Amino acid sequence: MGLIRYSAFRLAGMVATVLVGCVVVFLVMKAAPGDPALSILGESAHPEAIAAFRHKHNLDAPVLQQMANWFAGALRGDLGRSLTIAGGVPISELIAQKLPNTLFIGVFAVILAVIVSLVIGTIAALYRGRMADTVATSMAVLGISMPDFWLSYMLVFAFALGLGWFPSYGFVSPLDSLSGAFHSGLLPAVAVAAPMAAVYARTLRTALLGIAHQEYVTAARSFGFRPMFVFIHWVFRNALIPYVTIIGLQVRYILGGVVVIERIFGVPGVGSLMVDAGFARDYPVVMACTVVFLVIVLLVNFAVDVACSALDPRRTR
Amino acid sequence: MSSAFFRAIVRNRTAATGLAITACVLFAVTVGGALSPYSAVDLDFLNLIAPPSLRHPFGTDSFGRDVLTRVLLGGRVSLVVGISGVALAAIIGGMAGLFAAWYGGWIDAGLMRVADLVFSFPSFVLALLLMVVFGSSVFNIAAAIALVYLPIFARLTRNMALLVKEEPYVQAARLMGQPVWRILFREILPNIGAPLMVQASIGVAFAVIIEAGLSFVGLGVQPPLPSLGVIMADGREYFQRGPWVLTLTGVFISIALLGLNLLGDGIRDLTDPRLRERLGA
Repeated sequence: MGLIRYSAFRLAGMVATVLVGCVVVFLVMKAAPGDPALSILGESAHPEAIAAFRHKHNLDAPVLQQMANWFAGALRGDLGRSLTIAGGVPISELIAQKLPNTLFIGVFAVILAVIVSLVIGTIAALYRGRMADTVATSMAVLGISMPDFWLSYMLVFAFALGLGWFPSYGFVSPLDSLSGAFHSGLLPAVAVAAPMAAVYARTLRTALLGIAHQEYVTAARSFGFRPMFVFIHWVFRNALIPYVTIIGLQVRYILGGVVVIERIFGVPGVGSLMVDAGFARDYPVVMACTVVFLVIVLLVNFAVDVACSALDPRRTR
Repeated sequence: MSSAFFRAIVRNRTAATGLAITACVLFAVTVGGALSPYSAVDLDFLNLIAPPSLRHPFGTDSFGRDVLTRVLLGGRVSLVVGISGVALAAIIGGMAGLFAAWYGGWIDAGLMRVADLVFSFPSFVLALLLMVVFGSSVFNIAAAIALVYLPIFARLTRNMALLVKEEPYVQAARLMGQPVWRILFREILPNIGAPLMVQASIGVAFAVIIEAGLSFVGLGVQPPLPSLGVIMADGREYFQRGPWVLTLTGVFISIALLGLNLLGDGIRDLTDPRLRERLGA
């Protein structure tokens, strides 16, 4: 199987997962206790008002019909309307406003985590068992042990309230000012990146150590190539596959972290939208946010799979 | 757990440190709260937001409550929720994984597709969704954590069991006509226990973060019941006047999770055959 056929195969699987995921999320949302119409309009609302509300929000048909309506709308980019937090506003508009901010923080965090983990992981592997390795691995364990939202407050305490280098709250959209987005997004991105950098660095270190003992590396060394050349060409390139894989697997944790951290730093993203909607029992918005997160995770994993196949052609055979 | 395995843990520096920290934390949260002269709920208006001192090592909060006492009690709530969630996931996921590996075919394919689907949702988003739909109760948080970990345990158990399934002793048990449940639980399970323990140890650490995160945004454990997330959410309200409430609670969580993560890493080092080969042990 070539790379293109493999990609098409994976893409089809991804679309199927999204569809099944939407069905499951839809049914779970329908299992929520309470009638949204009554809880929003009040128990004493006029029956006609309730009927109109139900009709407007696609609540007056049998569940399967509602689901079909939802899918028909979603295909046209219409995810329904918000019930409470932004009464009547199309959810797709809300998402379109907030998704760039979430993506910016997420991508920024991944870039930071990749830079830090490449340095730390490589140093730890090269100086295995020595002081640098001990320091690097200890930092990595500490990184995954600190709750990210707590780290956020520590960063705010030190760099926003203490030193005053960064704002403690609020976020400039990258669509308005790119430099402003980097400036106001650095602390949230660092908070999201810290546990990721720790996981990436550990994976890279383990992979590098495992490959350094392979026979083809010993063979390359015995040819008399310089150690750095061997390291880059044989060891590092092969360690990239588990490294890229773990970046894909960790996307679900990154997005999970983003949800809480967006709220702490006042970033108007999909995560804080979902929490706000959760508080206000705005079910269609919660559902739309969940689906958006699902699609992001699957898209990234798809990209990682394709990248891994490009790095290791054996996979697509 | 055999005593030889326990001795190996004590000799491994990472595992021993992790075990010591975890034991101290468990001791502190089970016994410490009872030893404290303060109550976690009684108000003391003469001591509002007092900084850490000898009498109140973690200071007091905006109601004059001793923060250390609350952290120990909250730690108990958080750990009970985390451990029961992960245990539930390990039992159900582990059984599903064993059956999937043993029977193969459509049972295997079906169970693994379900696991893949659950695994595609960001874990915190999944937990948040369940809190919104089913309401925030301690039981629901544990159930949400269990759902997050189900696919991980199912997959891990299945993959390990597939390897062990072909071992001679399993084939021997099969030829001797042992019932399936006996082969699964007496022959296969004990031999894949170590990676499951690693996952459980690290899993509880992350489960505590999920619980704390849910309670921190207000959709998890509800006050007045203290949990680590509830205490931190409370400390956030007056972070500038009394930074120690949030800071020290977080330090406590970090230490507790450090213990669990080190324990998990240590067990993995001890049981990873590739690593043992490389070290020549």
